Amino acid sequence: MNLDWLSQYTITVVILIVTTVGLALLLHLQMGLAGIGNFGIVGFYGVGMYAFGMFYVHVPWPESWGVVLPLLLSLLFGALMAGLAGLLVGWLIADLDADGILLGTLGFASIVYGLSQTNRDWTGGAEGMGTTDYPFDIGTQKASTLLWLAITTLVVALILYYVVRVHRSPYGRLLIATGQNEALARSLGKPTFRAKLVMFATGSAAMGLLGGMYGVMLHYIRPVELLITVTLAAMVGVVVGGQARAWGAVVGVILVGVLFELAFMVWIPFDVDLRKQALPVIRQMLYGATLIIVLMTRPLGILGRMRRDKTVRRPKGA
Amino acid sequence: MLEGSSSPARSTVRIQDVVKSFDGRVVVDVADLTLGLHPIEGLIGPNGAGKTTLMRMIMHSIGFDRGTITFTPGDSAAPGAVLSGLPAHAIARLGVVKTNQVIQDFENLTIWDSLLLAASRARDERAYRMYRERRVWRDYGAEIQGYLDLLPFDNPYGFAMSAGEKKLLDIIRCLLLRPRVLLLDEPTAGLPAGVRDRVMALIKQKALEENVSVVIVEHDLNVIWSLSDYVHFMAEGSVVLQGNPAWIRAHETVVEKYLGKGHVGR
Repeated sequence: MNLDWLSQYTITVVILIVTTVGLALLLHLQMGLAGIGNFGIVGFYGVGMYAFGMFYVHVPWPESWGVVLPLLLSLLFGALMAGLAGLLVGWLIADLDADGILLGTLGFASIVYGLSQTNRDWTGGAEGMGTTDYPFDIGTQKASTLLWLAITTLVVALILYYVVRVHRSPYGRLLIATGQNEALARSLGKPTFRAKLVMFATGSAAMGLLGGMYGVMLHYIRPVELLITVTLAAMVGVVVGGQARAWGAVVGVILVGVLFELAFMVWIPFDVDLRKQALPVIRQMLYGATLIIVLMTRPLGILGRMRRDKTVRRPKGA
Repeated sequence: MLEGSSSPARSTVRIQDVVKSFDGRVVVDVADLTLGLHPIEGLIGPNGAGKTTLMRMIMHSIGFDRGTITFTPGDSAAPGAVLSGLPAHAIARLGVVKTNQVIQDFENLTIWDSLLLAASRARDERAYRMYRERRVWRDYGAEIQGYLDLLPFDNPYGFAMSAGEKKLLDIIRCLLLRPRVLLLDEPTAGLPAGVRDRVMALIKQKALEENVSVVIVEHDLNVIWSLSDYVHFMAEGSVVLQGNPAWIRAHETVVEKYLGKGHVGR
């Protein structure tokens, strides 16, 4: 298969976009439905990435296990650690107001970023640590990366499927009710704190899994991967696409990602000097401007409001 | 005390030595009050008497300074519970349920959504139950449709638009929780007259046929006089008088503190 038309860089950018779609979908459950504005996404993602990396590198895996099983176990471990972190953070913030949640989650992300630079023996410090190559070799590096993109896309598609199902299940109704009027939901016998905690912890675990998988693609994990830009990308995507809609996260992240990552940085043949100096800055400005324009013209995002009055009907055979 | 000794015992809520103050001002100070001994009880009193506060304390949506509130279910199989030690959702699960005085709604949930939410149980709402929707409609759809036939909405698949619809939705939600003790905080405010009569007939039916203990806080006293079997009169945070409606209506203290002289002759 001739892949000359496709650069390795483009594939990694697409993986980044797909991963961000996954994060944004999980953020949609937390923020769009349950009303928890999680500004610490990158923290859970980072816990997953680093827990995966450290577990993979420091556990003395038996030779006979090959490469796939240790990798899967490490990814699972990363997700589990992120889930536990989510449980702890969720327990601390779930009953706070929006400001408290913002600060708490943001603080958590900063802690994770800070921790990733300490304990050199474990994390590799500021230079980061090498983890692993792909657990398969199908010829060129580019082909392997493409396969990893397919695997990542599959995982994100499963997340999307789950989110769409949640919208059509009693659980989604509980989350929406909790997000909109928690006191009323509680007075209807709904254990809202527990519901939020469970949702937050499972969402965090899934974010951790995405972090670990992105870590595999990177081969080399560094603290610089854990900057707030990851959170902002997911957040902007959700807000632009429409935070109340399941597909909002997909539409928003792909739109923003394709526009600002692929079109700006890859497709349009800008002058080399421009690309090095001015373009990253211009891109950041346009990024912010897009958010402002969308919020001013369509405050609910491109897809708009939750349309349960159009979609909720008695299912066939019920 | 009850009209028929053969009817099962009613569920009651007992409030003992309960005090609540806001900024040092005592709002509720009830020594010993048992609600629910009669099918429908009225709780009346002038503004600021502490009626709504007392009800919110029963639901534990606000805390209080001291005292205990206990719930005794009518069917002796279920054990009693100290409500003041329980979170709000557990109180609702026990069957102590309150409608809201100030309109409360879920903005993005349709009328059907809202009612299904109230009817469905925790086992339907687990995070991994992705295919429960059909079963929830099958289990609770008929019951909800029954209420919607009796108390129709403009568009039950849309959102509750008017204040009256939201109020009505609030009441039906509470009935779907299968209450044992039903506290109604100004249920008729904002309801059109025809709907109000149907709601009241429904409440009466619940109280008499399904043994629900109903407590109504209401400023429209005609509702109280016509519906209730017993009336508690509150003033300045405590229960001043208790008795049957006719006696309360004629009582000197009530007339002086609340009704005004003109009401007696009407």
